[in-house]
Amino acid sequence: MMKLNGKQVPVSKEFHEISLLDFNRDQVLLKGTKYGCGQGLCGACTIHLDGIARRACQLNVADVVGHEVTTIEGLAETSGRTGSDDLHPVQKAWIEEAVPQCGYCQPGQIMTAAALLRETPQPDAAQIRTGMNGNICRCGTYERIHRAVARAAREDQS
Amino acid sequence: MTYTRQTIDHSRRRFLINTGWLAAGITALTSCSGLMPVLPTTANPKDEDGSSWIQILADGRVRFLCPRMEMGQGATIGLSQIVAEELGVDQNQIDCLAPDSGQLGPFKMTVGSEGIARFSGPVAMGAAGLREHFRQLAADKVLLPFDQIEDASGGFIAAGNFIGYGELVPDQARIIGAEYRAGVVPRFADRAGNSRAIGKSWKSPELENIVTGKTIYSRDIDVPDMLYGDIVRPPRFGATLKVAINRGAETLPGVVSVVIDEAINLVAVVAKSPFVLADALEKIETTWQSSADETPDDVLDVSLYRTKGDFEHSLMDEGSAQSADKTAIAVASANYTTSYMAHAAMEPRAAVAWVREEEVEVWCGCQDPYFVRGRIAALLNRDQKEVVVHPLRMGGGFGGRVLCQPAEEAAMLSARVGMPVRVQWDRETEFQHNYFQPKFSHAIDCGLDEAGRIAFWRHDFVSSPIIFGLVPSPFASILDAFVADEGTARGADMPYDVSEHKRVRYSDIRTGIPTGAWRGLGAAPNTFAIESTMDELAHAAGKDPLAFRLSQLENNGSNSRRLSEVLRRVGKMANWGQSVVKNLGTGVAAAVYKDQTFVAVVAEVRIDQQRQQISVTRLWCAQDCGLVVNPDQVENQVLGNLIWGCGMALKEKLTFNEGAPGQLNFDSYEVLRHAEAPRTIIELVETSGTPPVAVGESAFAPAVAAIANAAFAATGKRPRQLPFDYDSLQIQ
Repeated sequence: MMKLNGKQVPVSKEFHEISLLDFNRDQVLLKGTKYGCGQGLCGACTIHLDGIARRACQLNVADVVGHEVTTIEGLAETSGRTGSDDLHPVQKAWIEEAVPQCGYCQPGQIMTAAALLRETPQPDAAQIRTGMNGNICRCGTYERIHRAVARAAREDQS
Repeated sequence: MTYTRQTIDHSRRRFLINTGWLAAGITALTSCSGLMPVLPTTANPKDEDGSSWIQILADGRVRFLCPRMEMGQGATIGLSQIVAEELGVDQNQIDCLAPDSGQLGPFKMTVGSEGIARFSGPVAMGAAGLREHFRQLAADKVLLPFDQIEDASGGFIAAGNFIGYGELVPDQARIIGAEYRAGVVPRFADRAGNSRAIGKSWKSPELENIVTGKTIYSRDIDVPDMLYGDIVRPPRFGATLKVAINRGAETLPGVVSVVIDEAINLVAVVAKSPFVLADALEKIETTWQSSADETPDDVLDVSLYRTKGDFEHSLMDEGSAQSADKTAIAVASANYTTSYMAHAAMEPRAAVAWVREEEVEVWCGCQDPYFVRGRIAALLNRDQKEVVVHPLRMGGGFGGRVLCQPAEEAAMLSARVGMPVRVQWDRETEFQHNYFQPKFSHAIDCGLDEAGRIAFWRHDFVSSPIIFGLVPSPFASILDAFVADEGTARGADMPYDVSEHKRVRYSDIRTGIPTGAWRGLGAAPNTFAIESTMDELAHAAGKDPLAFRLSQLENNGSNSRRLSEVLRRVGKMANWGQSVVKNLGTGVAAAVYKDQTFVAVVAEVRIDQQRQQISVTRLWCAQDCGLVVNPDQVENQVLGNLIWGCGMALKEKLTFNEGAPGQLNFDSYEVLRHAEAPRTIIELVETSGTPPVAVGESAFAPAVAAIANAAFAATGKRPRQLPFDYDSLQIQ
């Protein structure tokens, strides 16, 4: 079993050598986590493993048995806020700043940002740049990503 | 996989011309047009097309079948705003949909930043025609004259009473469209009145789906009972399958079919689970042979052609120069080179195809669904009417998705197994099996007269076909001899005044490397050469590069004025001309994109001597793109352009070895990353009364050149080859 977005998911042995990314997308049919490079180079497949940002393409299913995995679909529930809307503060900041162009890399960016802010609730500019550097955005929205992370940190404080 | 090479003569077009094959070929072509290959959809939209794109439903909602494919450029939002402006409705009353290929007639492929520039007019005409049609329905209903039916939000006011659009849809009809009305006057371009939607920063209705992972891209589509296919693709461009031996792929659990068809180079596996595909393909041994192993660097070198004056196309040759050359007070003469580059969109392409007796369905993201439809129909020998393409949002396009190869692969496999089949490309396949931005090699000679004006400008370059890059042989050889590729030449007509002799010549040479559209086509390579040379000329004359450019922009009417204005603006924004700081340099560049968008960029570049690194720290951009429909969308596009420019200047380069790319993932093909991104300062200059124009690829060409010029200012070393870095400039 693994805990996926708060629910226990049975994992039969035949899937143990499959990447967590492929398993989530093609077996559990959670398609919000994206494939970008398959080598842990681009960050599109970022998920949380026990709260830490990891590349789903670099984990096998066997690695996460008995652990807790959160994908973009389950992120809002982890924010600990059961407010009137269903979004995580980082997701809200992303909409406020109108970050996405094509949007394909953004679930991974958001997962990286949420983990960064959990670790460092008030990051300075250099920490945001370093923390987000593993996630490629080919459309070039980095500056808006940066603003959205800063906004989420700011609004979390207030 | 094994690979044997067979060297075959590269019969290029000069051979065809010399041997008289060309004339014979043309005759043969025109006499049997059935042999013509399927081509991309290139006809521009007309005003009357708009009426088929917009409808009103019985509940008063507006249905907009958007004729632009969405890949992040935001055309669907901007065009929705135009619909809203004409019909007087709010954003939440519009359903903007991507039409199936069967729902609308073919519309032009989504390329060239034309979404707003070319489609706003027809969309406005369609929506305005629908509005007037409904005004007539309202007039008929309340028995008042047409001109007494006044506009209101979501409908009309007649004799003091509001009539919503929905009330005017007859019971028996659920949807109403309208015939084209030639006389209607769209109002979106006239902002004198209170604009409802134009100039407003509407946000994409897709944002919430994107940030929650709900948006469906090509890779995310699931069709019930779908099978999974994968293919052994040729290891080199143009390689053909010699032999394939199956050593038990079909014995693996879940494998449904092993396909080996040597006649069409097809080796594939179809399975019930995607997880078994890689192992199954491993069990098939393939041997390939190649017909081409040309090294493009041997061919794409302008100096090979310049000595003989041997260029295929003359873009212009105005005036003559003998006296100017002798009396020139300052000259510049230099070569510039840009690299092969990949689109590297974040979503590697994918598709699902379902071939049935009565219909073929295809789900995929692509810039030209009608081209995909035509190619699949030809591949399966089916009528185009039997093929339906369901277009999906693309995870980036950048010119790289005019084709959708996995859709064709999936269709071939589905035709064999009779079930829907999904084919997904991995990152390595995406790098290896698409088409590329070609290398450019330039040489420019120029000189100033005694008054400090450019007296002569002679620019020669060689590259490969871009717009016609996808045309297959043997048609390609025939086409190339007669048609100059405008994509390769985009941006090659420099915008400054030349008093005596202006000449631009080029060759678009086909090599073994597949080439095609990539963001901006030739604009960035050509602008890099032109604006670097302008910088050299300014320095040769001892002039400030910004003032020098302004002094050469007087004779070309409003184009000169608009370019001057953005140059002056960006100079002000960047506080141009401040004192020089060690290891910090600023450079300027400007360009007119497609004769419509005026952009100037100032770059600030920092040299880190200790780490031996060059970085772009700030970019200022002033852009005049006429009427701005959605300022936030346009600024996001400009931001993307500036970042793309940094990547092209400092990072991106694809090399080839024996007909295969040497870079297959982001470790070796580097794009700009977050920590390297400069701060950007963007201002939009809106020249009043000018229509909306292209913004998706306008700002990055001058960004590239400005960065190179800033590096020169910081180091005294001129970047002549892109990409450049600390080492290649030999700073130490």
